[in-house]
Order: sequence, then C-alpha cells, then structure tokens
Amino acid sequence: MHLGATLRLLRVDAGLSLRDLARRIGVSSAYLSRVENGVDAPPTQERLTAIARELDVPPALLMDVANRVSPYVAGYLEDVPAAGTLLLDIARRKLTGAQLARVRAFLDAEFPLREVRGDEPVPPLAPLLCAERVVVQLSCGDYEDALDVAAGRLASALPGVDAAKLAEGLRQREGEAPSQVGNGVAVPHAFVAGAAPVAALVTLARPLKVDAPDGQPLRLVVALVDGHVGRARLMRLAHVARLAGRGLADRLQGAEEAQRVLETLEELEALR
Amino acid sequence: MNPHMLAQLLVQLIVIIGVSRLIGRGARWLGQPLVIAEVVAGIALGPSLLGWLAPDAMHWLFPPESMPFLKMLAEVGLVLFMFLIGLELDPKLLKGRGHASVAISHSSIVVPFALGAAAGALWLYKSLSSPDVPFSSFVLFMGVSMSITAFPVLARILTERGLMQSKLGAIAIACAAVDDVTAWCILAFVVSLVRASDLAHAGLTTLFALLYIGFMLLLVKPFLARLGARVANREGLTQNVVAITLILLLASAWTTEYIGIHSLFGAFMFGAVIPKEGGLAAALAEKLEDVAVVLLLPVFFAFSGLRTQMGLLDTPEAWLTCGVIIVLACLGKFGGSAVAARLTGLRWKEAGAIGVLMNTRGLMELIVLNLGLDLGVISPTLFTMMVIMALVTTFMTTPLLRLLYSPEDLARERLVQTPEAPLPPSAYTVLLCVSHGQAGPGMAVLSRALAGERNEANLYALHLLSPERSLKARADEALDPSAASGGALAPLVGRAEKLGLSLRTLSFVSSEPARDICRTAQAKRADLVLLGWHKPLFSQTVLGGTVHEVMQEAGGTVAVLVDRGLSQVRRVLVPFVGSRHDRAALGLARRLVKQAGAEVTVLHVTSPEGAGAGRAQVEELFPADEGAAVKLKVVRHASPEEAALEEAKAGYDLVVVGLGAEWGLEDRLFGVQRERIVRDAPGSLLLVRHPEGATVLAQTPEGARTQGSSPETTPSVGARS
Repeated sequence: MHLGATLRLLRVDAGLSLRDLARRIGVSSAYLSRVENGVDAPPTQERLTAIARELDVPPALLMDVANRVSPYVAGYLEDVPAAGTLLLDIARRKLTGAQLARVRAFLDAEFPLREVRGDEPVPPLAPLLCAERVVVQLSCGDYEDALDVAAGRLASALPGVDAAKLAEGLRQREGEAPSQVGNGVAVPHAFVAGAAPVAALVTLARPLKVDAPDGQPLRLVVALVDGHVGRARLMRLAHVARLAGRGLADRLQGAEEAQRVLETLEELEALR
Repeated sequence: MNPHMLAQLLVQLIVIIGVSRLIGRGARWLGQPLVIAEVVAGIALGPSLLGWLAPDAMHWLFPPESMPFLKMLAEVGLVLFMFLIGLELDPKLLKGRGHASVAISHSSIVVPFALGAAAGALWLYKSLSSPDVPFSSFVLFMGVSMSITAFPVLARILTERGLMQSKLGAIAIACAAVDDVTAWCILAFVVSLVRASDLAHAGLTTLFALLYIGFMLLLVKPFLARLGARVANREGLTQNVVAITLILLLASAWTTEYIGIHSLFGAFMFGAVIPKEGGLAAALAEKLEDVAVVLLLPVFFAFSGLRTQMGLLDTPEAWLTCGVIIVLACLGKFGGSAVAARLTGLRWKEAGAIGVLMNTRGLMELIVLNLGLDLGVISPTLFTMMVIMALVTTFMTTPLLRLLYSPEDLARERLVQTPEAPLPPSAYTVLLCVSHGQAGPGMAVLSRALAGERNEANLYALHLLSPERSLKARADEALDPSAASGGALAPLVGRAEKLGLSLRTLSFVSSEPARDICRTAQAKRADLVLLGWHKPLFSQTVLGGTVHEVMQEAGGTVAVLVDRGLSQVRRVLVPFVGSRHDRAALGLARRLVKQAGAEVTVLHVTSPEGAGAGRAQVEELFPADEGAAVKLKVVRHASPEEAALEEAKAGYDLVVVGLGAEWGLEDRLFGVQRERIVRDAPGSLLLVRHPEGATVLAQTPEGARTQGSSPETTPSVGARS
C-alpha cells in the first residue's frame, strides 16, 4: 500500500496545494513532497493525525492506510504485551470479518472512545456497487479503456449523464492527481453535481503496466462518482486505499462473477 | 557590531519568533489568519504592552541601540517578502476576468483613496501632522494607505475557506491583484514625491522609474523566461540558478532604492516578471518562503510593533479619531467595492462578500505605514491609529465572511456552476464488436478502408465474454499462451497487423452484451459501431438477437458486416431512396471514397409513377467535385429490393445498404423470407442503421468539420426526407 500516493490523492481532492497542507501541519513542503512520493519515511502518528485533521477525515482511517501492521499497533503491543496474547487468541480462532465486527461492537459498548468526533464509521464501498457496475476480467491495452468501461457502467446509474463526459471527467481528475494508490489498485473519481454517490469496480484479467507509486501493475479499478465534495468523499477514497492495502486486488484477482466480487468485498468490509 | 550585540540579536529573534508562533496558535483557534497573530505579537512586545507592564524588561530586550540591526533585518525580510508577493501574482489572474473585476477593482481604489485623501486634507493634516510635512505628500499618502488591499492575506483566507475556485474568489483575487499593483505604483510615486526636494526632481524620478519598468518588462522578463524554461526542462533549480535570481533580485531592489522609489517596489516588480509557468516561480517560492515568512517577517512585525505606541492615544479624542479612521477605511473600501460589485450584476450577498474581502488590509498596510513613518509623512500617533485600523479591518474579515457567505452558500454555488463545456472533437472512432473469430478478417479489411492509409481513425476491438464461456476461454488461454489476447480477437488482430492497422483491444465478461456494447460506444464516443456477423447465414436473420438490441439502444450509427470473404474495398454499391439510414450508408460510402479511393455506385430507385426529385437529393449529397469516384444510376422499379438485388449481382465488393422496409430490412425480429438481399446478394454487405435524431458524423476527418453545410451533417435534413 502506498501511503504517499493516497495522501496526495486526498490532498488534491480536498483542494489543498502542497504548500498549503505543509504550512498547516507545520512541515516544509519539500518534506511533504518526499512523503507523497514515498521517498521519506511515513509520517509519525502526530503528523498523520494533523494531516487527517486538515483533510477532515478520521485519523484512525489514515493510520490504517499507512501500513498493514501499523507501527501504532506495534507501539501499543510493546507497551502492553498482554494485548499481543489477545491478538493471538483472535488469530487462533480465525475470526472472520463479520465476527470481528461483533468483537468491535462489544469494545465500543464496553470501552467507548473518549473523543467521539472524527471517529464515526467510514461509509462502506459495497452499498455503492451492484452487480451491474462490476466488470470482471477486463483485458485491455490501456488504462483509459478501463476508465471508459467504468464510465459506461457508471453512466447508466446516473440519469442524464453522458458516459463520454463522465469518462472525460475521470480523465481530467486523473490529470490533476494520479489515482494509483498502490497494491495494484487505482481509484479514479469524478464529480457529478447533485448525484448520489455510486461506484463501479473493474477487475483486470491482465495486469496493466502503469506508473504506479509502488511499481505494482494495475489489477483493479474502483471508480467513484460523487455529488458532493467533502468529507464523505475523502473518507471513501481513503477507505478504498485502505482496502487496497488489505489486499483487495489479490482477493478479487480470480473472481469470475460480479456476485463473487461483491461477496468478497462485503466480507472484507465487515470490519471497517 | 560587537559579540554582545550579536547575542542580543539572537535573543531578540528567539523571543520574536516564539511569541508570534504562540499567539499564532490562539489566532488559529479563532479562525484568524496568522498575520493577525504576528502583528499582535509585535505590538505586545513593544511599548504598548511589554513596555507598559515591564519597561525594564523591554529595555533589556530591545535596547534602542539594537534597533538599527533589527531594522535592517526587517528590511531584508521585506525585500524577500515583496519578492514572494510578486511571485504569487500571476498575470493570468488579471487577464480575461471581464469588466466586472476591472470595475470593482477601480472603484475599490478610487473610493477609499478619495475618502482618505479628503479626510487627510480637511481634518487630519491640521490635527495630526506637523507643518513641515508637505501638504500634497500627506494627502496622497493618506489616500494610498486607505486603499491598500492585502493580496497575500486575501489569498490565504480564500484558500483556507476553499473559495479560491469559486466565482467570488476569482473576482476577489483578481481585484486584489489589480489593487496591489496600482497601489504600489501610486505609492512609488508618493515616495518619489516626498524624497525629491522639488517638482523637477520628482519628475526625473518618475521618468527613471518608467525607464526601469520598461527595462524590466522588455529585457529582464524575456531573459527570465528563458531561464525558467531551462529550469523546467533540464537542470531543475540548482543553487546557481537561485544565486542568479537572488543577485538579480537584490540588484532590482537596489536600483529602485537608488532611483528614489523604495527598494520594496523593485523586489515586487522582479517577482512579478518571473514567469509563472514551468515551475521556476514555485520552486523559488518554496526555497525562500520559510526563511522569509517564518524568520524574517516576524522581525518586521516586531519592529513595527515596537514603533506602535498605544500610549500615544491617551485622550478620548484620539480614540475617537482612531474610530473615525476605521469607519472611513471600511466605508471606502467595503462600500466602494460592494456597490461596484452590485452594479456589475452580482447579488447583494456576493457583493457584500467581495466588499468584506477587499477590506482586508493585513500586513501590506503595515508595510506602507512603516514607509510613511520612515519618510516622516505621518506622525507616530497617526501611525499607531492606522496600525489599529489595519488590525481591525483584517480581523473582521473572516467572521464577516462566514456570516455573509456560509459554507452552504458555497456548496450551492458549486452546484450551480458545474462546467458544461462540450467535449473537444475527437478523431473518427469505430468500435468493432467481435463475438466470434471468423468475423475478424473482414472487419479488419473494412476498418482499413475506413481509416485510410494514414490510420485516421481510433479503432477499438471489443470482445465480450459470456459469464459461462469465460471459464472455458481462460482454460484455453492456459493451454495456448499465444491466444492470450483473447481467442476471438486473434484473427482480427492478426489481419490488422498485416494491414498495418493499429487498434486497441478490449474484452471483459458481460451478461448483457448489447448494453455493454452501447455503453462502451458511448464512453468511447464512437462514430460507428461495427458488428460482426458470423452465424450460418440461412438459419437466422441478421437483424435479430444482440444486433437488434444494439440497434435499438445505440445513440449513433450501427453497421453490421455480413462478410463473404471481403478482402478489398474497391467497388461499392449504395442503394438509395433517401431515408436517414440510406443517408448514413451514403456517409460511410463517402468515407470509403475519401480514405480508400473506393468507386461508389449510388443506385437511386424511384417508383415508376414518382417524379425524379430524388435525383437532385443525391446530387446534393455527392457534390460534383467527388463525381469522378461516384457513379449515379437511376432506376425506375416497382420494388426497390428487386432492383438493388439485381444491381448487387454485378460484382461489387461491398454493398452498403441502409435499413428500411424498401430493402426488405427492418430492425426487428422477423421471418427469414424478408431479408432477401442478405440471402441472395453474392458479395459482402454492410447493413447500416442510424438512430432517429442523431447527427450523421464525420464522413471524412476534414469533411465533417469544414463542410458543415453539406446536408448529411445536419440532423434537420434527415428529418426532411
């Protein structure tokens, strides 16, 4: 998972320039640029929290994007080794996403978080999809073709929207900030005034060579359309990046049917 | 400077930066720009607060003998800062904003200038100035200091509130830019006037200033443009380039100082002429910004704070005067720009927001005031009053803006002004839909003819896998790696490669092939959807099943190729009676003429009793200049279908025929007996359907754009027939 690329995607979508964000969180824009390009180490927890505050997304979400086993978890485990035993218990039981969700519900009830603001649940991706907007096993020679196919599916869910214009919108956004978030996933997104959020998902039969931040070929495209610019949209983008980090592309790789894709996604999303 | 002085200066810097950042946190919490915090920090460190509470501490921290060093540091910081302001000033902001922003910016200078000058002339000169200050200088200075708008603070506020991209933000920033340039020009003139001993000197200074501006624009700017291009292309911003730029900057500042119009003007001017494209400006700004804004600018604020003596305003009258100045300043700036904005047609709410924004004076005002104090135009008392005015006007911007222009308004505005720009024209685009490998070679040949020698078309080959078949296809792939590009597409791709045709392939699993074909065609903006026909010919109609569905749903021309060994497109027949499908067929034939040099025969069938009106139509469609390649045959026949079939037997490579009952072709599911022309014609056929109400696109690349008057390109003609 590429944190830097995700940060850039979110920053551009929030309408902040590199200098603006750097100034607001009190770092140099050169440093932030290095982080976005993955040259520098991922930011510390404090900085990431500051970035999340400026972008108005839950800090926990960004930390989750940051790493598969996040250093914040690692730090906690070092402080409280007993927590490690608990994790081991969970691992031995091989709890599924749905079961983990129940564990979390228990945690929420028993030990509510003090700072409630900014930690509300992230809107899931699966409800934005339906079998009609899932394209499996696309093989094409160019990323643009995948965008066009996604745009075609999205347009039929948006009355009065022309697929060509939507494709153009996706491409234009792509020009402003590349939507590759690493791990073989791209999140092209477009703005359609007043539209309810919808998504289309395209799995690629043949991985595409693209300019990915982590050099992995593209295997999955999740196209998002929103009617409102803001928090919910940024959270969706970050959430897809997090799913990418959890191996979404790997899990959907062999799926032959749209229904299978949706099931896999729901399972993966049960614990957000 | 002895070592002790250096230690003194370092302590001062630590305190200044520390206090500014500390108060900055508070300002952030209040939603105020950082500038406010820095100014307040400066004032707090000066005689107004620290000097009042603990005079000894202030004296220890800022002894009078350390002031010159502080002043120099502040001046250098200002030079750098003004350079940054110039860098941020993109000339694109000034261009093409329409008369609205011109009117607003002019009135937002003229009105406060007039008010300030009038107040200065009628009232303040007598009460707050000394006789040795020239009357004209004082009046002009008061005018300028009232009409300042802080471009950088404004830009920051707009960015922080996410207004930069809105219409309001665009107008405000353009006005602020104009205001800035104008105010600095007037100020330069005032400074030269004050410094020159008499009018002749002032004239000379103005002349030199004009020469300097001309020099910067005509010689330095092109040089910098070349430097910028170099930075953008190869080298990046090396330290050498930074050094050159800094030397030029300092030279420019020195020149203006020497001429007699303050060094700040030179720094600003130099920043303004640096090209904003190609990254030189951005890279420079990034390098210099932290030093200038974090380190040196607070020194300037502290320095002006040290000169601000609230203690001088010790009478109710003084505070009253201060209040009146604030009211005048707001009235002039806010009123002037809001009324002008309203007159240019903005709503009151927006006009008010513009007024509030333009009223931001921020640190630019402080710069001007310090200049005035240095020149001795204004007294310390008036200086203090004006500083308070600058603070108040900047402070009230953010809350007022929030009041006038809430986030909901912003969201609404964004919804209203979504861009509805038409898409740019693209090349002739054909979507080739292949369901079976057999159809591939013929489609490649036809595509070649449609694209021409120079590949003047975007060709996409689409193969849809049915959900059940995909498993098998993948199994095949595993067995035969050469078929990895999709088995069904292989013959098409193979032939296309032989013909030197470039096409892009696409394939995916689809449970609704017809819809997916139409959706992909729409996304690709395909001018033509070409379907392959592969099933055994006599068992089923051509125009049924998926073909029928595609034809019903497609928004553009759809053609079905019935391939009977099509290997070249030389002789083409177009049976014609005049329906919109026939016209689309003619359009395709016309493209074949242009791109592949095909010979087209148009068979015009008239009913035995009908008049020859159709002939004129055909001639209209195929103008005389193309006549060489187009033969027109007119036949009278009771059954157009029979006539066409007879002609089709005369050895044509391809018969391009529009759908329609007259040819026995209708796009609905019907019996075998009706599609006689498909069954009995010996050669290959291209069946064309054009949906109602859509334009017939692109006969030839140039034809579609330039021959706008030609009948096929207008939808109304299709309706007429």
